[in-house]
Amino acid sequence: MSRYYELRQAPDPGVGKPPDETAEWQLFDRDDMLAAFATRVDDRIEASLYVGSMYCSACSWLIETALGRMAGVESADVNPVTHRLRVRWRPAETKFSAILATLAGLGYQPQPLSPESAVRPEVAEQRTALKRLLVASLGMMQVMMFAVGLYAGDFQGIDVEMQYFLRLVSFVVTTPVVFYAARPFFTSAVRGIVARKPGMDLPVSIAVGSAYVASVYSTFTGGAAVWFDSVTMFVFFLTLGRFLEMRARHRSVDRSIALSSLLPNTATRIENGSNVVVPISRLATGDRVLIRPGDAVPADGRIVTGDTRVDESLLTGEARPQPRSVHDLLAAGSINLDGMVEIEVTGTGNDTTLGIISRLSERARYTRPAFVTLADRIASYIVVALLAIATIVAGSWYLVAPERAFEVTLSVLVVTCPCALALATPAAFATAGSRLSHLHLLLTNGNAIEALSRADVFVFDKTGTLTLGAPAISAVQVLDPAWSDDDCRRIAAALETASTHPLAAAFHYDGALPGVSDHQVTVGRGVSGNIDGHVWRLGSADFVGGSVAPEHSAATHVFLGVAGRSVARFELEDELRPDARSTLDALRDAGIGIALVSGDNRLAVETVAARLGIDEVHYACTPADKLAVIEAAQQRGQRVVMVGDGINDAPVLAGADTSIAPAHGALLAQTSADIIMLGDSLAPLVTALDMAKKTMRIVRQNLAWAIVYNALALPLAAAGFVPPWLAAIGMSTSSLVVVLNALRLSRFG
Amino acid sequence: MTILYVLIPLALLLLGVAVWAFFWAVGNGQFDDLDTPAMRIVMDDDDKPDAED
Repeated sequence: MSRYYELRQAPDPGVGKPPDETAEWQLFDRDDMLAAFATRVDDRIEASLYVGSMYCSACSWLIETALGRMAGVESADVNPVTHRLRVRWRPAETKFSAILATLAGLGYQPQPLSPESAVRPEVAEQRTALKRLLVASLGMMQVMMFAVGLYAGDFQGIDVEMQYFLRLVSFVVTTPVVFYAARPFFTSAVRGIVARKPGMDLPVSIAVGSAYVASVYSTFTGGAAVWFDSVTMFVFFLTLGRFLEMRARHRSVDRSIALSSLLPNTATRIENGSNVVVPISRLATGDRVLIRPGDAVPADGRIVTGDTRVDESLLTGEARPQPRSVHDLLAAGSINLDGMVEIEVTGTGNDTTLGIISRLSERARYTRPAFVTLADRIASYIVVALLAIATIVAGSWYLVAPERAFEVTLSVLVVTCPCALALATPAAFATAGSRLSHLHLLLTNGNAIEALSRADVFVFDKTGTLTLGAPAISAVQVLDPAWSDDDCRRIAAALETASTHPLAAAFHYDGALPGVSDHQVTVGRGVSGNIDGHVWRLGSADFVGGSVAPEHSAATHVFLGVAGRSVARFELEDELRPDARSTLDALRDAGIGIALVSGDNRLAVETVAARLGIDEVHYACTPADKLAVIEAAQQRGQRVVMVGDGINDAPVLAGADTSIAPAHGALLAQTSADIIMLGDSLAPLVTALDMAKKTMRIVRQNLAWAIVYNALALPLAAAGFVPPWLAAIGMSTSSLVVVLNALRLSRFG
Repeated sequence: MTILYVLIPLALLLLGVAVWAFFWAVGNGQFDDLDTPAMRIVMDDDDKPDAED
């Protein structure tokens, strides 16, 4: 195993394991726990586990090998991407607790999953779709072989008996294709009729149903032709198109599923000094929970004891481990990397940041883009029109050449199926949404892509959007030469340790701090404390005494003083996001106008604008002023994208054509933004803009293709030049072209 | 040609077995994850630890 530790780069989560852990695992040997977390297969037991702190594929090898060597373990399969382990063992020879202990001994944090959470609705849907696809494809291949025989027979002559036999086996194979693989089309067609909104499945069902019935009739009465090959081919290609579309759709929700699967099933709650394992559903606000290294954080909470680093990459896209210590918030779903911490729970379940993010991405799934709704509405009219045309074609052919009337009508129905039209937009939007979430942009409104694609102006808020929203010390001016710059920073940091003021974090100092006694916080003015016998004060100029704040300045000033004299002046500035300049430049290159609106004073706003090269600047804005800026731009005929945190200005976000908000913890829940930026980087905005434009381009291509194809194919089919099998190929190719064109978006960015 | 009367039903029988086997495999979750196996073959080449440890 020597190479394993070379391969493994992540910190070893095994550090700091308490010795009493095996006792905890034994809980899982109890029958009620086994019933909840495992399923019995004959005399074996199978369980799914979430294995936290698995960082590389060497881990999956290690787990599979180590478990495989245990007596009684039959199989162990690890999926390194979803962090799932499926293990099956003989209860007579080993125990669940022994398996869990082995995993824990290797330094992983096993988390038994209940069987309900193992099969998700998406998985069930995919399983059924796969089965239908297989039945349709095998059925099609078989029937094609028989069809070759039948066609050859048409030219070279064939025994009536052999013809009957081949038709009969075709019938046997086609039957499950029609009744099993094609069932969704029939049910959806019926639903469409009941709702008086005929969808594209209606002509499909009529074509499949009538061709099947006519072929069966023909088989048993010795009729001129059978169309089993056309039926199976039509069903197969339709099913394939639907399958690809379903995969695109699932991929776009993968992220929210990935989010909900980040949560462990159980948590270690501290009750009267002892550790008790409870399901996370039983956690409540105020509980104390112990989080070991390698564990996923079960609920939002504030650290009570301990220091650690956490991996929040799945929540924020930030790949670097984030240091967290006492009083810091931990978000549910992040991974505790290297220290053991105790937290006090502040939010559970749906109230956690994770829960809110999942809910917001749900919201996007339920808002259908206006474009799609429009396409659906048009599709209903088209379907009715097609049925009318088919009837006219049938009638005309019946008068001219009654023996070909059925075949031609069938071709018309098949060839003009508006499947491509109906698939064109949803497939593209689903794929685009999925790509955006990979860029850590969360779509909460299905219409956002279309609106974003036509953007002319980006209006940015300043604080928390172009800047990080976390002030930092930009300059220290020492006013009393008896003290050094470093002394001042240290003393200020010591004084601020007890403060919860938002500015306090800016004074963070790495290194030893002097001891402080008589700590006092004067709300709204500053803090004071006794260091080495002197009373120091940190706060506003008049609180500290001995100096005045400069009148015109872009920065916030904080004074440090002792005994009524000022010792130092700190200038605090909100730092620009590192990629603000490059992002704005890229947007300008794309022909987008940039404006800055802010409630801050003129100097602060203009300083930022100058550094970023923004010409249109609005300062000291109330939310109403900001809205006026947006409306003025809209009256000039421009489409406005508002990028702001929306803390006080929800109406501003709502007034813009598209709104984008950076995610700020607790405020996430109330956000009305169409798109949420999960990371600290602004760069994805540029990609999102390109992505939106490309998506709409693909949608337009798809619609154009569908319309041109139908316009060409319909007259040919009505004139009787297209046999049913060719119609099936034509229609399917057209739908596949549309879906594959949309899937191109998944390789974007 | 009469052999076809035997061979075709036999083929259908095999088809039935194949469908049954596939349904069984799907039901057992063999096809739940269609994305990772494609990646896995890439990872194994680089990362497979030594046989002896």
